[in-house]
Amino acid sequence: MCSDSGVTELRTSETKLEFPYTRTVGPIVGAFLTGLRDGKLLGTRNRDGRVLFPAVEYDPETGEALTETVEVGPEGTVDGWTWVAHPTPKHPLDRPFAFALIRPDGADTAMVHAVDAGDEATMSTGMRVAPRFRQEAKGIVTDLEAWEPVR
Amino acid sequence: MPATDIAVIGFAQTPSVRDDARSEVQLLVPTVAEAIEMSGVDRREIGFTCAGSCDYLTGGPFAFVQNLEAAGAWPPIAESHVEADGAWALYEAWVRLQEGDIDTALVFGSGKSSPANPLELWPQQLDPYYLAPLGVDPASLAGIQARALLESGKATERDFAEVVARSRRAARSNPNAQLKGDVDADALLAEPYFSSPLRRHDLPPITDGAAAVVLARGDKARQLCSRPAWIRGLDHRVDPHQPGMRDLTTAPSATLAARKAGYDGGPVDVAELCAVFSPQEIILREAIGLPEATEINPSGGPLAGNPVMAAGLIRIIEAAARIIDGSANRAVAHATGGQLLQQNLVCLLEGE
Amino acid sequence: MTTTSGDKKENLVMEHLVSLTYHEKLTPTLNRFVDELLAGRIVGHRCPSCSRVYVPPKGYCPLCVVATGPENEVQCRDRGIVTGFTIITPVAYYGQKETEPFVYASVLLDDADSPLGGQDIVGIPHEQIRMGMRVRAVWKPEGERTVEGISNRGWGGLGSVVEAFEPTGEPDAAPEEYMEHIF
Repeated sequence: MCSDSGVTELRTSETKLEFPYTRTVGPIVGAFLTGLRDGKLLGTRNRDGRVLFPAVEYDPETGEALTETVEVGPEGTVDGWTWVAHPTPKHPLDRPFAFALIRPDGADTAMVHAVDAGDEATMSTGMRVAPRFRQEAKGIVTDLEAWEPVR
Repeated sequence: MPATDIAVIGFAQTPSVRDDARSEVQLLVPTVAEAIEMSGVDRREIGFTCAGSCDYLTGGPFAFVQNLEAAGAWPPIAESHVEADGAWALYEAWVRLQEGDIDTALVFGSGKSSPANPLELWPQQLDPYYLAPLGVDPASLAGIQARALLESGKATERDFAEVVARSRRAARSNPNAQLKGDVDADALLAEPYFSSPLRRHDLPPITDGAAAVVLARGDKARQLCSRPAWIRGLDHRVDPHQPGMRDLTTAPSATLAARKAGYDGGPVDVAELCAVFSPQEIILREAIGLPEATEINPSGGPLAGNPVMAAGLIRIIEAAARIIDGSANRAVAHATGGQLLQQNLVCLLEGE
Repeated sequence: MTTTSGDKKENLVMEHLVSLTYHEKLTPTLNRFVDELLAGRIVGHRCPSCSRVYVPPKGYCPLCVVATGPENEVQCRDRGIVTGFTIITPVAYYGQKETEPFVYASVLLDDADSPLGGQDIVGIPHEQIRMGMRVRAVWKPEGERTVEGISNRGWGGLGSVVEAFEPTGEPDAAPEEYMEHIF
């Protein structure tokens, strides 16, 4: 925490800030998170018939409230990606992985999530992936543990 | 109907450094004082004060309150704060000045990125349901955006490297820059990826710093400054939050902000763009519609020094400085907030 | 997710612990204060413009907005006046380590103009603590002093060097002596 120091050497301090949030999630985000527990992926359909994924409460283009949830996937397509060679403790996986935009079959938009690909050489835009769900659901987005390449 | 007689007449910034041992308010005290001194305004006559900072960055609830001590808040002053870059504080002050009952305003922005790991901190600015719990970090998002740009055919990795090389060369003449020097694109392209297809130099440096601006209206500005930098237009707009629900190779909100600020793609001498990742300069150039002849980021831009929460305000300072010293007559300054250019502010500045 | 009630509520809330760690040097101003504190001295900065004394030193005067430095350092006596206090009955919120009612007092040192916030008062029942009460510092033995808890954030407390203040037994100060300095 601190060190004996001369005039010029400054002590260092460590401060940990923690905020234990309990968030209400409402009928749309709540349905999405509950769906993950049951191994389902939910989007919402807008007035034009497009399916927005992950399920959102409002159409970001028009601001219109969305109420119709639609099951999509489970497999999907990688629309874009980057490689995380050195995961931080906040990342969903503790080994190198890809953060990717994943668009499940039947959806018109993509969500950011992790692809547990093992090796960067496995990744490509347009590749097919399938979800891997966590055994014990916690009611948060990481109940969808990661996506895996479909071989 | 935006007023057109509000100008930047004073400014100051700290040097951008990796780790400044002073506290955020200690960075601000001399910076605010220097901006006020340059303006020639008496501190106690300033009509309105607005500050921009981020408590998550500082690391304490209500941390922004202490920063106000740099403005001299006794006897009580009229002030406000935005949890955003100081450029948005400037926007609020500009709106406030249009009421017409005051003629000067002080704006400042400050942030120290050295205490926490930015990759762990910044997921907190994202949607707390789908993105923050995944720890989606700015470098990874920028990597996804960069690849989208490559695969769209709008840019190459060499283009990214050229942006970095030009920034660092330009920064050689900026005494406040953190990263500067003669680097060539080939050498940069030989570096390993950080968040592919981005390399470490495509990311902004981690910076501590602060900046301050004094604004004045009409005759007050003319009386105090021989060549004020007039704000001809100022606007900010926002795009959808979810990265998968928009085209990441464009920034429609930057286009809209530029048009609403009165910039229509005509000639400008200088543009200071808050492109914190190198591909974003390419996106912004197109979105704002800047001509080929416009000099981009003569200061080196955020790739040469990125004091978060001051970096956008510094773009306005760097643009205004070139108007005030007569080296430019028309300039565009840009600031951004959120991830992947989600929110954009454009300021059009002119001399007399 | 951990929830306290049944299924229905589980569908409506999510738990998310945000945890962030900050590592940084103490500011040169605070580092110097800590050097002195560990040696048993409390120092502040006197503003060269208005003469107010700030403890711990800020490195500037927030009223005059002028910088202060080592040349403005003054030593303060380790005794002062309770200018305000509360007794907090802790509720068991996340991170609360206190379990019994505790004191949170502001102490204006005799040579200072800014009170020290968040101080403990010992040697007197809680119900007898009062504004204007004269107190002196209870120093930890030299070998037990640490600077744990002193950081650039928060109220810059004395950490675990001065563990509390105790009554001196002298007559209380009149309100006029401290009314400009109560928080």
